[in-house]
Amino acid sequence: MTPAIDIHTHPLQIEELVRDDPALARAVREVFGLKMPAQPLRTFLLHMDAADIDRAVLLPIDCTTAHGCVIVSNEQIARLAEAEPRFIGFASVDPNLPDAPRALEHAVTSYGLRGLKLDPALQRFEIDDERHAFPVYARCAELDVPLLIHCGHTWSPVGRATLAHPLRLEAVVQAFPTLKIVIAHFGWPWVNEAVMLALRYPTVHLDTSILFSGTPSESIRQALTTTIGLDTLDRSLSRQVLFGSNYPRVDPKRVAWAIDDLGLRPALRQRIFRDNAADLLGLEEKRP
Amino acid sequence: MIAKLERIGLQTTRDTQLIDLTPTVLEVVAGSGVCDGRVFVNTLHTTTAITVNEGLPDLEDDLLALLADLVPPDRPYRHARFLHADGQMAVNAPSHLRGALLGMHVSFPVADGKVVRGSRQTIYFVELDGPLFREYTVQVVGER
Repeated sequence: MTPAIDIHTHPLQIEELVRDDPALARAVREVFGLKMPAQPLRTFLLHMDAADIDRAVLLPIDCTTAHGCVIVSNEQIARLAEAEPRFIGFASVDPNLPDAPRALEHAVTSYGLRGLKLDPALQRFEIDDERHAFPVYARCAELDVPLLIHCGHTWSPVGRATLAHPLRLEAVVQAFPTLKIVIAHFGWPWVNEAVMLALRYPTVHLDTSILFSGTPSESIRQALTTTIGLDTLDRSLSRQVLFGSNYPRVDPKRVAWAIDDLGLRPALRQRIFRDNAADLLGLEEKRP
Repeated sequence: MIAKLERIGLQTTRDTQLIDLTPTVLEVVAGSGVCDGRVFVNTLHTTTAITVNEGLPDLEDDLLALLADLVPPDRPYRHARFLHADGQMAVNAPSHLRGALLGMHVSFPVADGKVVRGSRQTIYFVELDGPLFREYTVQVVGER
């Protein structure tokens, strides 16, 4: 079985990162809401091994205007990705700041970051705000890097899910038809709305980090089997669903087991666990 | 009386795993200065265990398989929800319950400065929700 690519991880529990950065430690605890003790970087890599994940996308969140902090900076992401080839770094910029498009360009061209992460619930911006958010989307499309955007429920104590409704992306998709978008968490609880966008627009993708209660197996089965139906997934979305764990909120191995529990046909499994992310990220890979 | 406590870190590398602590425990006892007393080995976690068995790979496999049979992964456990105190999903009920079956500590007599144990007895740290950086304690209590 080909190892997976995890499109959705947050490098927030890395001891080497938070130990010497009290501002980051505070942001992780009070803004992101993760209160577990940090672990050595090696634990992250071993978690990937345990879930048969070859490469992981690292996501920062720039909350400068909303909360006065960055939850891992672009520079820190770049350093991690440079030190560990299994990591793929994404950038984050604050759409409420006028220089956000330039900051994104700098992060991509100078740091080699390969995508953009936005979280409207935490960063407190309107997804369809033409004045603030659209210039960021425009630069993202020009740079030809994907946008991974949090949608739906948020576990952050200061997050506002009302700002993260996936339907508000429709205007963005229409305005930027070449922009590749990943809706995180299948937009739960607005799964039908997120799926509707993906059905209608091939540039819209969905990641599997769905967990609201119960186990990952129960949450993912509820969303993908009961709400959407595996037939729809296989027939219409096979190239738009990506494996994402949302580590460290959830243990990646359990999300991987949950997808395996669905009993997908091997070709679809391969697309979800690896090929769709490889295509989206432009990873040069030979296909059998 | 002497009471010497060592807190020891351990990086586990797999989801479930048995790690032989015997050499470390013997070393701590030897360096403790305790001649006659007792050594206690405790894990500091609730999804790990400390146990003693014969140090054979087949028995290690059998023990982990038995735990998986006794506490299967797919029962409707109540401990499957978001824990606000941690900011993480608690989805590891099987790990907790398997740990509860094995227990969190073992102890051995110490006599003439040595651990009194059977020749087949291996002291194990049991990882049940790895990989993680873990800690356990070895405490030696007794007379010089």
